[in-house]
Amino acid sequence: MATVVRLPELGESVVEGTVSRWLVKEGDRVERDQPLVEVTTDKVDAEIPSPIAGVVEALLAAEGEVVAVGAALARIADAALAGASQSPGAKVAETTASASTPAPTARPESAPRSDAPPATPVARRVASQAQVDLRRIEPTGAGGKVTKRDVEAHLRGAREVAAPLQAERSAGASRAAGDVDRRPAYLSYSLQDGDRVIPMTPLRRLVAEHMVVSKRVSPHVGTVAEIDMAGVVRVREANKREFEAAHGFALSFLPFVVHATVRALREYPRLNASVLEDAIVEKRDIHMGIAVETDKGLVVPVVRHADRLSLAGLAEAVEDLAARARTKKLSPDELKGGSFTVSNPGRHGNLYGFAIINQPQVGILRMGELVKRPVVRSVGGEDAIVIRPIMHLALSYDHRAVDGAPANGFLHRVRQLLEEAEFDL
Amino acid sequence: MGAGVEVQELGLVSYADAMARQLALLESRRQGRGSDVLLLLEHPPVVTLGRGAREENLRVPRESLRARGVELFEVARGGDVTWHGPGQLVGYPILDLAARGAPDLHAYLRRLEALLCDGLAALGVSACTRPGMTGVFVTDPLAARPRKIASIGVGVRGWVTWHGFALNVDCDLAGFECIVPCGLAGVEMTSVARELGASAPADLARRARDAVRAAFLAHFA
Repeated sequence: MATVVRLPELGESVVEGTVSRWLVKEGDRVERDQPLVEVTTDKVDAEIPSPIAGVVEALLAAEGEVVAVGAALARIADAALAGASQSPGAKVAETTASASTPAPTARPESAPRSDAPPATPVARRVASQAQVDLRRIEPTGAGGKVTKRDVEAHLRGAREVAAPLQAERSAGASRAAGDVDRRPAYLSYSLQDGDRVIPMTPLRRLVAEHMVVSKRVSPHVGTVAEIDMAGVVRVREANKREFEAAHGFALSFLPFVVHATVRALREYPRLNASVLEDAIVEKRDIHMGIAVETDKGLVVPVVRHADRLSLAGLAEAVEDLAARARTKKLSPDELKGGSFTVSNPGRHGNLYGFAIINQPQVGILRMGELVKRPVVRSVGGEDAIVIRPIMHLALSYDHRAVDGAPANGFLHRVRQLLEEAEFDL
Repeated sequence: MGAGVEVQELGLVSYADAMARQLALLESRRQGRGSDVLLLLEHPPVVTLGRGAREENLRVPRESLRARGVELFEVARGGDVTWHGPGQLVGYPILDLAARGAPDLHAYLRRLEALLCDGLAALGVSACTRPGMTGVFVTDPLAARPRKIASIGVGVRGWVTWHGFALNVDCDLAGFECIVPCGLAGVEMTSVARELGASAPADLARRARDAVRAAFLAHFA
């Protein structure tokens, strides 16, 4: 009997490796755990040990060859049966060589999710009569089965959710009974015929609450800079094709703005701060929140240690977070701990606007649309009207922590960095 | 997770001696004995070729290296060619990644980079990583060429790591001239001393050791 040695899992992020060196040759006798082959991935050289004692029957990958995780590397004949295994029809055992002690478990086969969840026949009938999708019902039955009782509970729940809306419509009261008395009359609204009521999602509620709290605790001041983006446009055009080929996505203006912001924050730590009850904390690390609009609402994932990333690194991080925000694959940790925020709310009909500060930060920059405008420049010593791509950047800052001079200094520095456009891509 | 790491500061150690020491620790760790260890040391001038090394990244003939008193080793670590010498802080973590749960070789590289960035930050050098170029670079967006300050090359045997990282603290950067470091043409090598310039403290070597040790323990202990 022979054992096929396969490239083991080398971690979740590793999908393949390069065979860098065979340490044995065909016909060699090997001990259990003896290194068979070195496989390189990025800057790690991993030695793959033999899972059994035996004789190397065949090397199945050449040096320099790139092999996928799970691909066959070698065939080893069991020591005890080394002679017999040469016979045709000998059994071959499958093993993924162990890079670990104890052996790593095989990649778990995720059971294919069947479309119809398990349910009792009665539950199935009740659900179908009520036209309820079984997949939306939480099962409590044995083996994760949906029971008749689950279906009934689900139907009751649906009615309970619908009920307050009905009540509201008739009474003109607000949703939560407790709030009714405290709300001044001018804040409540009586529903009219033809109105469409959209219950708030939990995310919408969170965003709403946050906006109110931020405006209440923090006196916002706004200031705007007009930025000549000609240099950034030039750098982007020059690198666009190569960047997209290398990274698989288009290089937008956002990473340039984030990059300049991070650099300026280093020089103006007061903008990278939080307000405590009677102190201001200036933070060493810069974790940049990026406001992303998704179809479920506004989220602000955070690029951690944005000050350690190159422009390309920032672009990658922003792209990754935004893509995962839209497919809802962000972990809660990735939405926490930002120290400053940049918001890029869209390109059209947006000259500039002031964002609400993302608490407990003290500043937020909001990008306006990039439009060609006539501006006055000195050309050969004469003032002349020239056409330049102009973007407005609006800074909202918390006047508890930041005064006008540093805020303007910071914004001016962002402007300088973008206009100088010395970016190392 | 409370995994202890014993840090051994060894001073100047020949490459061969350090390799022997690593192998002994590696074997006992593989057999489940001892604790995870970090060796911190410096080497006399030596050039090593990793498993990804291409001969053309050695800029001078092998014999002339020997004539200059520079040893040459081919070693079972990832990466291309590199130089070690006095003034460069070398770290060899002997860690059982499997014992720490969810072992992942690339994630390990990223953690080494992160701890070096942290250590450098404590020394007053802002450092960053570059996607696709494992190692640590100085953050300087206005520079024309990236400046590399620390190199990484790792070996792993049965999920126990050896080899590791090298941080240029105050070494003679001319040592790198006989090679194309890590096979990256267009990358300049730099050191902490060079980045800090006049503001470099007199006891930089000790501070660098302390900073790297602290950052390492913060990440792995």
